[in-house]
Amino acid sequence: MATGDPADAVTDPVLRESLTSSAAVGLTGVLQVIGDPGGTVYLSGGEIIGIKTPGAPSLEVLVLKSGRVPEDGWEAAFSAAAAGTTMSAELITRGLIGAGELEALLRTAVADALFVLACGYVDQCRPEPGPVSVLLPLDPPAEAAWLLAEAERRMNALAAIPGLTGYQRARVQPAPGVVPADLILGGGRDELLALANGRRTPRDLAFALGRGVYATTLELGRMQHEGLLVTTSHRAPPSSLATPQASTAPASTAPASTAPAKTVRAEPAPATSEPANSEPVADHEPAEPAAASEPAPPAEATNGDRPGGHGLTRRRRGRHGDDAGADMSMLLRLLRPRSSGD
Amino acid sequence: MADDSLLNEMQELRDRVTGITGAAVASRDGLIIKADVDDVNPDNLAALAAAWLGVAQRMASEAGQGLLREAVTRSSGGYVAIYAVGRTAVLLLTGDEGLDIGRLHRESRSSVENIEAVLASAPATPGIFRQLG
Repeated sequence: MATGDPADAVTDPVLRESLTSSAAVGLTGVLQVIGDPGGTVYLSGGEIIGIKTPGAPSLEVLVLKSGRVPEDGWEAAFSAAAAGTTMSAELITRGLIGAGELEALLRTAVADALFVLACGYVDQCRPEPGPVSVLLPLDPPAEAAWLLAEAERRMNALAAIPGLTGYQRARVQPAPGVVPADLILGGGRDELLALANGRRTPRDLAFALGRGVYATTLELGRMQHEGLLVTTSHRAPPSSLATPQASTAPASTAPASTAPAKTVRAEPAPATSEPANSEPVADHEPAEPAAASEPAPPAEATNGDRPGGHGLTRRRRGRHGDDAGADMSMLLRLLRPRSSGD
Repeated sequence: MADDSLLNEMQELRDRVTGITGAAVASRDGLIIKADVDDVNPDNLAALAAAWLGVAQRMASEAGQGLLREAVTRSSGGYVAIYAVGRTAVLLLTGDEGLDIGRLHRESRSSVENIEAVLASAPATPGIFRQLG
């Protein structure tokens, strides 16, 4: 619970361990973060060059939604980059963005994405050594330790705002009596207030406006504290995570495909030194203060049902699992005339 | 009431999948049954969804790929996906650029089944449904 005690806000331990060990062994490849929102961390030599997650806007969203880079310019740069150059070089040589600003924005986007992963729910992390392809790699890359420290700093900053709870899933709307059209708040707050219609979470607002999730959440927290906004409802966790034993996806034909909760999967490759089953951590979602009103944490629910499976840690979502999503992503990547930034 | 059940199903799906911005259920002849959307015209969505579903099913059949599971468009500003709901309706979902498409595929199946059950239990007259304000 984020009770205002900054010491309570800590990064998910599974993510921390996996990222730290990936850095220690100098992993080049990806770290698949399975959870909610989950995502993919791209590493080169143990350092992070990009993160893709549904929970945080990519650089493409940041620059296009905010109007920093015009869409036709982005498309032209992408088409040119597909012919052999790099997207970064195309954006810079076309004068769409400066090299320094691009690097700063990429670093911001990566830090924001790791913050989102860190305060989300992490089921397991799976290192996958191999070649890495990122549309806009962060150069120079970011150190895992710095990103983890930065995520923690951000979580602590949010935990220090009184009354800001469950912000990952909260939907916000103007407080009773607050009419957005009647106010001029400045500082980017008017846009937030105008879009906060009770349907959007901080993450949704960040995507809609092309801003970072942390910055958006921080501002929303302050506005809530000042009585401008209220929380209307909370998103429910995905059913596959909340009630894994009752998942709609069949448990697959392979008996070994059921997995114990919250493990750092040991790969044959020397990508991690973690054991196959790390100790499940009950308090895995410390920055989810609304947990009291939400279903039991998935780790606990699953631990009771699936005590076994040592050394057989697999993804548990059966044939409709992440493989299907990954294949779809690959297909989209191959077919698409244009790409989203990573 | 069927009306509320449909809305609940759509909102639950929106809750479960990161990045869904709106949902609508339309009849196969292109009339809106229930919409939970923001800033888009649900009547236009319904008409297009019904036409699109027909074309997509024909395409899947023509390509010899069996039953259509979903059809998806991806644009610079996000996604639109449609799912056949039985033989009478279509579920349409809109999502932003960050839509978790893998999770959408997993989570949408149960929603489609539930929506189909709700529609099957309701009288066949579309007029009983009221579009969400």
